Amino acid sequence: MATTAAPYRDGERPDIPSAAVRFPAIKDYEQVDREIAGTLRPTLGWFTALGIAILCMLIGAVTWTYQIHEGLGAAGYQPPVMWGVYIVTFVFWVGIGHAGTLISAILYLFRAGFRTSIYRASEAMTVFAVMTAGLFPILHLGRPWKFFYLIPYPNWRLIWPNPKSPLVWDVFAILTYLTISSTFLYIGLIPDIAILRDREKNPVRKAILATLALGWRNSDREWRHFTRAYLFLAAFATPLVLSVHSVVSFDFAMALTPGWHATIFPPYFVAGAIFSGIGMVFTIAIPLRKAFKLEHYVTLNDLDAAAKLCLFTSMVVGLAYLTEFQVAWVSGNPFEQDYFWNRVFGQWAWAAWIMLICNMVLPLSLFSQKLRRNPHWLFILSLFINLGMWFERFVIVVPSLSHEFEPWQWGGYHPTFVDYGILLGSFGWFFMWFLLFIKQLPVMAMSEIKEIVPPRMRHPDPQLEHELDVGYPHPSETGEYGTA
Amino acid sequence: MQGVLGAFHEIDAAVHAVEELKKERFGDITVFTPTPRHEFEHAMDHAPSKVRIYTLIFGLAGVTFGYWIPVWISDYWPIVVGGKPVASWVPYTILGFEVMVLVGGLATVFAMFALARIPRLTMTVGYDARFSGGHFGVWVVTDPNRTDSAMDILKKHGAEEVRRER
Repeated sequence: MATTAAPYRDGERPDIPSAAVRFPAIKDYEQVDREIAGTLRPTLGWFTALGIAILCMLIGAVTWTYQIHEGLGAAGYQPPVMWGVYIVTFVFWVGIGHAGTLISAILYLFRAGFRTSIYRASEAMTVFAVMTAGLFPILHLGRPWKFFYLIPYPNWRLIWPNPKSPLVWDVFAILTYLTISSTFLYIGLIPDIAILRDREKNPVRKAILATLALGWRNSDREWRHFTRAYLFLAAFATPLVLSVHSVVSFDFAMALTPGWHATIFPPYFVAGAIFSGIGMVFTIAIPLRKAFKLEHYVTLNDLDAAAKLCLFTSMVVGLAYLTEFQVAWVSGNPFEQDYFWNRVFGQWAWAAWIMLICNMVLPLSLFSQKLRRNPHWLFILSLFINLGMWFERFVIVVPSLSHEFEPWQWGGYHPTFVDYGILLGSFGWFFMWFLLFIKQLPVMAMSEIKEIVPPRMRHPDPQLEHELDVGYPHPSETGEYGTA
Repeated sequence: MQGVLGAFHEIDAAVHAVEELKKERFGDITVFTPTPRHEFEHAMDHAPSKVRIYTLIFGLAGVTFGYWIPVWISDYWPIVVGGKPVASWVPYTILGFEVMVLVGGLATVFAMFALARIPRLTMTVGYDARFSGGHFGVWVVTDPNRTDSAMDILKKHGAEEVRRER
């Protein structure tokens, strides 16, 4: 049922968003452990992907070394554009980091069933994306070994910390987000690490897993406090998701620069972050479900539901784009009007149209249920969304700085191989950590999937059995999983 | 500490065993389950977790500390920015919120650790590796003269394996 490729007819649709969604191809707890723990064996494809990621990271490291030697001028900055690819990529990775906590925390509070199979990969994606984003303020320094000057506290270095500055808020927001996201990921992993510990035969690996599992025994006392703590962490993480990207948007909106000084920025940035994060979830989850043969866990129903979220956030982002133009039009402010004209029909038209097509036009295809349930299309679309969202940040940062109020403030921006090398290196860094993660720890929450799988009963409840079996043939009988 | 451990493959059998053990006034019962199940919560009938109290207290402490940091920084090095008061509570709300989440969230986790009594250095008695897989476990602490009675209850309800441990 859950994995059929064909669209459902009226009256036959399963209740996708509800927690009652079932995995029809999963029969018992042992199958969950066997299949998900089985994904931890390294394969040739994994080694190849890891090698490519490390190579990309090394390219980034070499170009960064070159930049440190030559100075920041090697990175293509020239007045008036003194923020470029680094800040664009910083905001891009912070945005990617949003979907993980959205899926794990917000959808947990809303009891959305489709989160179960994808939230672990999304959480890991969040942590590694924020780790990647955190590099960029340091990469942006001419003398990166002085990075601790960025930390805002009273000091004897004659640096005045201004707590009214959004850059100071950013430090607090990003560090809190990284800490809480990492904690949330680790806490959720503890019961699963205990499963791996109990299955492990290698004594060294078993000792490491036992240490990481903290002596977890699956007792009722542990579960009772664990479930409460998880709920409260989710409740904290939910407004945190909204606040962090709002604070990132304040970095721009607090300035008077045309194109930035807008009250629409916080919701616009939050929706964009969720949209780009969902795009990256598709980029990661769709190849993973295929490579790990987990199509009966990340079902087409799950992809369908996530695609609806993607469509919704795309429309919010699209509305924000149009509202920006509308506000500039009705404002009567010639600087704003000139800036937005320059954005779409002038100097930066190529970047703006990539953004508009990738983020506004292509996602409209998700109104078709057939395409929402087509993993190939979702994967291709996700690549366009990643591209479009990187260009969204480019369009926000560079055109504004290159076209401020006076003609002497007008200029251009040409990234160099250093910018591109470090951009590539950031993807290598991110995917290196992610690939290492998926072969050391389970990419799906085994203990949470077991909550959905019906437990073995001595005296089965006939009503429950009826609900599980009604109307839907088992996919293993129809050969339907993985067909799309 | 000594007691009896029963391993069940079926959840309803384990729940019925727990219910009868409680009825027979075996006080110290621990259930092991691969995933949290409401059936056991109802059977065990524990009081709600106290994690929430720590979350509240440390969340409030965090927001207070989060406001205090920028106020202290501002007073330590007072410079008027944009004609605003030296210590302006409106922008400092952002810092207050972030520190509330940080302190409250970490306190929630540490409270969970303390209340669940982890990290645990040894697995102690009364645990079996099957309980993280597909089996449910019931561990009853008994005095020696009631051990047989506890074992009988566990067997009667269909435990796959029942053993004494100390």
